[in-house]
Amino acid sequence: MMKHKFVSTLLIFFFLVTSSFQIPPQQQSLEFAPVKIVFKNCVKGANIVLYDSSYVNPFGEEFTINKFRYYVSNLALKGHGKNFLRSNDFYLIDEKNPESQEIELEVPTGKYLSINFLLGVDSLHNVSGAQSGALDPINDMFWTWNTGYVMAKLEGNSPSSTIVNHKYEFHIGGFSGKYNVLKNIELKFPGKPFILKNKMSVEIVVEADINTWWQNPTDIKIADRPAINSPGIHALEISNNYAKMFTIKSVTCQP
Amino acid sequence: MKFGIVILIICFVAFSAFLLNSHEAHWQPTPLKLEVPKGWPKPYDIFANNPLTEEGFQLGRQLFYDGQLSKDGNFSCASCHQQFAAFVSFDHDLSHGFNDQFSTRNAPGLQNLAWVPLYHWDGGVNHIEMQALSPLTAPNEMAENIDSVLLKLRGSALYKKMFKKAFGSDSINSQRMLKALAQFVGTLVSADSKYDKVKRGEDSFNPAEAHGYQVFKSKCATCHTEPLFTDKSFRNTGLPVNDFLKDYGRMRITTEPSDLLKFRVPSLRNVAVTQPYLHDGRLYSVGQVIEHYRAGVQQSPTLDSSLRNGIEFTRLEKYDLIQFLSTLTDTSFLKNKRFSAPTGEMIQQNHTH
Repeated sequence: MMKHKFVSTLLIFFFLVTSSFQIPPQQQSLEFAPVKIVFKNCVKGANIVLYDSSYVNPFGEEFTINKFRYYVSNLALKGHGKNFLRSNDFYLIDEKNPESQEIELEVPTGKYLSINFLLGVDSLHNVSGAQSGALDPINDMFWTWNTGYVMAKLEGNSPSSTIVNHKYEFHIGGFSGKYNVLKNIELKFPGKPFILKNKMSVEIVVEADINTWWQNPTDIKIADRPAINSPGIHALEISNNYAKMFTIKSVTCQP
Repeated sequence: MKFGIVILIICFVAFSAFLLNSHEAHWQPTPLKLEVPKGWPKPYDIFANNPLTEEGFQLGRQLFYDGQLSKDGNFSCASCHQQFAAFVSFDHDLSHGFNDQFSTRNAPGLQNLAWVPLYHWDGGVNHIEMQALSPLTAPNEMAENIDSVLLKLRGSALYKKMFKKAFGSDSINSQRMLKALAQFVGTLVSADSKYDKVKRGEDSFNPAEAHGYQVFKSKCATCHTEPLFTDKSFRNTGLPVNDFLKDYGRMRITTEPSDLLKFRVPSLRNVAVTQPYLHDGRLYSVGQVIEHYRAGVQQSPTLDSSLRNGIEFTRLEKYDLIQFLSTLTDTSFLKNKRFSAPTGEMIQQNHTH
């Protein structure tokens, strides 16, 4: 009798220990495959060479690029029904840092229609105090005088600029009210839905073209507006332009 | 049977040890609580993601008094926020910063910050944890950058120890630094002035103070609402635009023309020791400020509607109002050793003028 009690106590004890290491249920039934999303920044298809290369915008203004960064968050792959993945991470894509341009995800196998993400940092993370990781203010994407993240940043020099050092600076942010620059981006897979199968390894190249920043719907000429550094109408206008900067360039599957 | 119990005990001990190791349970900071003075409204949840602890508070205090947070080592937070003056820059219209520069606004007092939703004269900062970044990086104030500050802190054995005590590991990053600073400044509560004692029935106003309190309630309390002595709003009080600073106040943050020349309604707690006054420190005495409301208000489209005709004060009312406002001085706050520069291990560098 005693021995029986002892054994059952031990059993309960080991059950308690092991039960805390159970795999979450949804991971048991699904198969996953690695998907790498590569953000490739360019100007009209041309690779970016920071500082040294010169580019021309649709108004014939020459410019160089010293900084090009933007936040990607709420990154999701969307398909029908169960085929869905959303990452809660924040990614700061920085032209200067090649590692930052590659995002690796473990995605449930299935049929996918689009990549979706928020271009910027959602309002909650703009009002919740000190953050870390990609959102660390150390990354120089944060306004200290008017709390909030710079969602996208493009800087360089241009002979058309009339301000100090002939520089141009677009620090685009604003997370609330009528000057909210947050953009929900949806990129449909070109042609037919993309099917992710077990043991497949996939690389998706998303191109971000700086050539879209200058027009459609609002003309932004460096000569007229070399600096946009605070939330407001001009930041909103340029964000409506750059919302169209992304396209899915290629999807490569290794079976 | 005995053998079985021994086995069970061994299992239990081994398992507990495993749990302790895996959860860093060795780290047990002392919880702190933000005390809400009797009769005060509920504070904002400024510590929602930043559990208050004694160790976090002490780290914040250490950082607050450390000149290393500035580029040249001369300017700690405390060099512009002096405890004896309710954490304003005493007797300075504008504060001194790096390389003989001036700040562009009068340093606001640091008290009861959990009861305001926005910080700075223009409300540009929306969370207490983010406030410190502004003076720290402003080229005319502490003139530093975050990387460089963290580098200095990481080189200090004392800070490694203090971060470990406060956060469970000695990793030093901006989030932890800002949270610790928030724990210190966010718990600077002033609620023990003569006024508070009178309210608690422990003291009584003299006749001038009592009359001044009546004047206050009828002429000032709309904006300087008790018990915090601010209604937390932003208002244009009819001050002419400063020629040099060209400071248009809250409009810079909201871009709304209707916010032109609006500034925070500051709390009047400890007002008798926080001269000079107003967002640019242009007036040197409480009497001058009252005089501005009586006879100096300038008309403009965004002028506060309550000030269209100024505020009438007789000489006696003005005198007694000043007597009342002096009862808002909280000596125990101004001298509270918990809020003063830490002593002992720390190396302190403070800029004094």
